[in-house]
Amino acid sequence: MRFVQKVLDNGLTVIGEQNPEALSLSAGYFVKTGARDEALDVSGVSHFLEHMLFKGNENRSAEDVNRVFDEMGADYNAFTSEEYTVYYGSVLPEHQTPLLDLLTDLMRPSLRTDDFDMEKNVILEEIALYKDKPQFTAIDEVRSTYFRGHPLGQSVLGTTESITALQRDQMYSYWERRYAPNNLVLTLTGNFDWDEALSRVKSLSHGWKPTDSPRAKTEIAPIPQVRVIKDEKIHRAHLAFVAPGVSAQSDERFVASIIGDILGGGEGSRLYWELIEPGLADSISLGHDEEDGSGAFFGYASCDPDKAQMVVDKARGVFLKAMDEGLRDDEIERAKRKVASALVLHDEIPRGRLFHVGFDWQYREEYTPLDTAIDRYLAVTPEEVRSFLARRPFDLLTVLGLGPLSELS
Amino acid sequence: MYGRAAGPLPAKESNLRGVHYQLTLANGLTVVAEHLPAVRSAAFQFIVPAGAVTDPDGQEGAATVLEGLSYRGAGDRDARTLSNALDALGMHRGGGAELEYSTFGGALLADDLERALELYADIIQRPHLPATQLPAERALALQKLQRLEDSPAEKMFVHLRSAYYRNGYGRTALGTADGLNALTPEIVQADHDSRYRPGGAILAIAGRFNWSSLNATLQRLFGGWEGAAPPTPAPDTTGRTRYLHLQQDTNQEQIGIVYPAVTLDDADYYSMRMGVEILSGGMASRLFSEVREKRGLCYTVRAFHQNVKGAGAILAYAGTTPERCQETLDVTLAEIRRLEEGVTEEELARARTGLLSSLVMQSEAARSRALSIGRDQFLLGRMRTMDEIRRAVESVTPDSILDHLRRHPARDFTVVTLGPKELEVSP
Repeated sequence: MRFVQKVLDNGLTVIGEQNPEALSLSAGYFVKTGARDEALDVSGVSHFLEHMLFKGNENRSAEDVNRVFDEMGADYNAFTSEEYTVYYGSVLPEHQTPLLDLLTDLMRPSLRTDDFDMEKNVILEEIALYKDKPQFTAIDEVRSTYFRGHPLGQSVLGTTESITALQRDQMYSYWERRYAPNNLVLTLTGNFDWDEALSRVKSLSHGWKPTDSPRAKTEIAPIPQVRVIKDEKIHRAHLAFVAPGVSAQSDERFVASIIGDILGGGEGSRLYWELIEPGLADSISLGHDEEDGSGAFFGYASCDPDKAQMVVDKARGVFLKAMDEGLRDDEIERAKRKVASALVLHDEIPRGRLFHVGFDWQYREEYTPLDTAIDRYLAVTPEEVRSFLARRPFDLLTVLGLGPLSELS
Repeated sequence: MYGRAAGPLPAKESNLRGVHYQLTLANGLTVVAEHLPAVRSAAFQFIVPAGAVTDPDGQEGAATVLEGLSYRGAGDRDARTLSNALDALGMHRGGGAELEYSTFGGALLADDLERALELYADIIQRPHLPATQLPAERALALQKLQRLEDSPAEKMFVHLRSAYYRNGYGRTALGTADGLNALTPEIVQADHDSRYRPGGAILAIAGRFNWSSLNATLQRLFGGWEGAAPPTPAPDTTGRTRYLHLQQDTNQEQIGIVYPAVTLDDADYYSMRMGVEILSGGMASRLFSEVREKRGLCYTVRAFHQNVKGAGAILAYAGTTPERCQETLDVTLAEIRRLEEGVTEEELARARTGLLSSLVMQSEAARSRALSIGRDQFLLGRMRTMDEIRRAVESVTPDSILDHLRRHPARDFTVVTLGPKELEVSP
């Protein structure tokens, strides 16, 4: 493995981790923009814009974009989160140049009005799609409840109203501010040719103008909350949890991941034995999510509506016990092992590795070889776990219940 | 091998083709394995011949409960000790009861493969199936069934299957409330004795391993297992439903379509498969382009081939709001029918490149290879090599697709909709 990096004159950063053993290569533009960077009157614009980039520019029609991706047999997609918009593709090495040409071209879209109007329907359908998934609604709602007006609580999809009202020129001015070359990082992993990639991207991005794309980073001050959204059309109780964690810049993020895994990382976790094994809930998960300058534990459970209070109480009991008594050394050792093997499984293909290399750079401007990342998890000590939990993060738990529920305490 | 240009950092030729091994134990358990030297992990999947299809009548959901109970203590370990032992190996567990069988396995670092197989030898052959744990396992299964009511797309697919297949193939592993409530500890134990048998079972392994050591370990762990599962009935689609609408107050209408198609072992398979790729492979494929890109009718639309042992089908799916759903259904059906008017060489070339490149990329990950070779063994009784697939895909022409569609035109659709609006289905 070899790490390579270069900042072009226009501010565009290109990084890569070469693996000559790989059969494929992956490339992705990581754009530092998402729901948290939106003014409220354009809620959902980042995600809608992500769709619009696939509509092409003066060089390529929307049909051209799809066709050219398919012609190189690319496995490609894009996603938008609260913090990032990422466009990525994986191809066999002989298609490196057309892939980079196309991805780079996407960053400079025309945003044609007829495409905008047509795609608006697709976005409205996507919003309707998620409205029929109570699990997503619960997680979205708990997020906005927990963040209490902080930008990190803003919706990625936006609402039917905000998308319907959105104008093409509002999107254009958002794009102009957020897709400046100095706010983009092109990341490559797998079997790629660095010199060729660099010279290609240099010439394609010639003339791109850097600009300021600031991000407001305020601290949030979480408070314990319980909220119920009563909906008689829903059959199950969908419960979502948030408690404060640590940011993507914190050295404690490895400790937080281990704690999240022990408490709710699937089969064998404490929440599993407390809730799934006795058949009280049919689904439970908890994990730590590190974000830019912030971070939190997010959890979800579903159960029969008449068991909702019991499930909340028992989950709370698991959190309290962990804070009062700490976690056992053998649990910590197993969790470290699980997290380490998960990293290997995820990162042994270029497409998986792309996201770790890309986000390491986005959040911390650092390159971390896979084995170093594994070592950092393996180095977590019981003492670090104890001192993390001694700050009692779960005393600030936010709980949200969605379904045919009258109240929760 | 795949027309690779002379790149600066060529991958090793041997990486492109994993080495295959096969072993059939005297008791009938078949082991298929693909060695992938470039990975650090190994993945494995046991296919145990206990699925919804062979759930005894009146005990629908039995395979799901049995699979769940298998982890609640096995061999000389209780549930917690067993779970901790799996976690200590960093095992990423997968599996579950499915239509045709139950699966057990997952992925982990290659060095721990044989230790994990030891644990699964207990889970599959010597589970405790504690009577005291049946109520909890049943409660979980009943809740999963109830969860369908909050998952409109999944619920539509459950009904699409039962509208199309008349016998056990119309079920899903979720079972029924009556079937789940009928289970007793004695029934579950008898079910394990009958269906968790090596005759009809498959173990698929992919990744890095030492075959001779693995071979000896497998003989030791599974050589003493005995018996064969009861035979599986053939799929039956006679007299299937043409249109079923399920009224539900949802935001989107769920639209499902299914019609007969050839199977993986048919001479026409690859021509059919490339036709489906042209219909719904990449984002330039016909359904995505006509339904979503040009008309903005929906977020999701797709078609795919589904094979059960003894029958093939093509399924199509779209989800869309009520004001657009009739047009979505009409355009989708029209595109499916239009395939028999012919495909272009360009469309076929894109489909070919897409399929072959995904095949190569799949071979970088042990997990997807273990699933593929296991499924091949189940459906065909052998593993397909990458070379064989490549040659077959490259032999498909626009004419062979047309010939195939003349022999097997897209007809006799079964349509299921779930949502606020009943639709008109053109014949």
